[in-house]
Amino acid sequence: MSDILKVENLCKEYPSFRLDNVSFSVKKGTVMGFIGRNGAGKTTTLKAIMNMVHATNGTVEIFGLDIKKHEKQIKQSTGYAGGTVNYYKNKKICRILDITKSFFNSWDDETCKKYLQLFSIDPNKTPSQLSEGMKVKLSLAIALSHNAQLLILDEPTSGLDPVSRAELLEIFKLLKNQGIAILFSTHITSDLENCADDITYIRDGRIIYTGSLENFTCGKKLESVMINFEKEAFYEKAGL
Amino acid sequence: MKKPVYKELTLATLPLTFIFLLFSLMTFIPGYPILCGTFFICLGMFQSWQKAREDNDILYSVLLPIRKSDVVKGKYAAAVFIQLVAFMLCAVFTFIRMFFMSEAAVYKANFMMSANLVYLSFVLLIFAAFNVIFIGGFFKTAYALGKPFVFFIITNFIIIAIAETLHHIPSLSWLNADDFSFIGRHLIAFVTSFFVYVISTVISCKVSQKRFENTDL
Repeated sequence: MSDILKVENLCKEYPSFRLDNVSFSVKKGTVMGFIGRNGAGKTTTLKAIMNMVHATNGTVEIFGLDIKKHEKQIKQSTGYAGGTVNYYKNKKICRILDITKSFFNSWDDETCKKYLQLFSIDPNKTPSQLSEGMKVKLSLAIALSHNAQLLILDEPTSGLDPVSRAELLEIFKLLKNQGIAILFSTHITSDLENCADDITYIRDGRIIYTGSLENFTCGKKLESVMINFEKEAFYEKAGL
Repeated sequence: MKKPVYKELTLATLPLTFIFLLFSLMTFIPGYPILCGTFFICLGMFQSWQKAREDNDILYSVLLPIRKSDVVKGKYAAAVFIQLVAFMLCAVFTFIRMFFMSEAAVYKANFMMSANLVYLSFVLLIFAAFNVIFIGGFFKTAYALGKPFVFFIITNFIIIAIAETLHHIPSLSWLNADDFSFIGRHLIAFVTSFFVYVISTVISCKVSQKRFENTDL
């Protein structure tokens, strides 16, 4: 299977944090979970992939194109949802959608309508009138409405009720079967066990593991494997 | 570029900004520093920038399928559009005052700046200062807009003070002519400030594009 997303040696220096040679790839028609503790560098990596954070070094290729040189083209076929919709909170959703869709060549009104109905979102409301979970759903509906071939989602399931989460994971499976690649970060490891093919595990800005979920867990619970990894790291840091 | 500008004008710009264009009517006020109207027009634009920041417009914009540099270009183009509308209004009111009202007693006794091509030149210089100091300053961080606006206010009032002072110098009294007796000199002043406006806005936009490219959101 071809790589839809290829991240190579991505670096970002902050005064108190460093993203250190992050490399991984996401294949067509697969779901990759991006896991790590709070502050491990998940959001920074996802933002650097979308060119929202200026990487100090490294390359990001999406559909074989460099994000820095082909940003416009890549964004047409990539959906990004960074958690909830936290922009234009007091504008009507239908107004935001009207403006947003004018930018996308492959925006599908029917798909948008379908997801708004599925997520029970009233387009005449404003984002400020939605709960946090509903804002996540709106963010996803927007990302899914322009027939993106790659979805990059930063903690899309956090804030959702169990039923909505299950629905969303089902949608991920459907999209995966349609050949869409999904990269999503989450703290809810059970979500990954339900739908992820691969995982990338990041700790302190470094990739600890990237590859198949099965090989990582070896039949154990993902959460316990992750906790063991973090325990080892903690003891190592503490010199115990 | 049409789509980002449309987005700016329909989503990011407050109705207040358009209402504040009416401050161009201050062109008619006699015995008053009429360039203050231009400041109020800029204040109206500032209100939209402030609201857009609270609405996370920059985040919304970079998620759209446009280059980061086009986000900046769209913001400059929208600002230029509003400034050109304001300028056109000021120009129309200036010519009405020059053609039909120049003999009015209140304008004859006017000791402040007259509405003429020199006034329109200073309008352009104030807009140029807004683009360079405020918008250019905003894109240093893509967040902080208080300090750039304070610097713009200071510059704006220095420009107004200069404009209101120069014509009191006897050798420069021609600057305040409210008829066409010095039209040649006035035209030179206008063309010069027009080029200053265009060049400074373009350079400021290019610099902001570079800055924004390196900004982390």
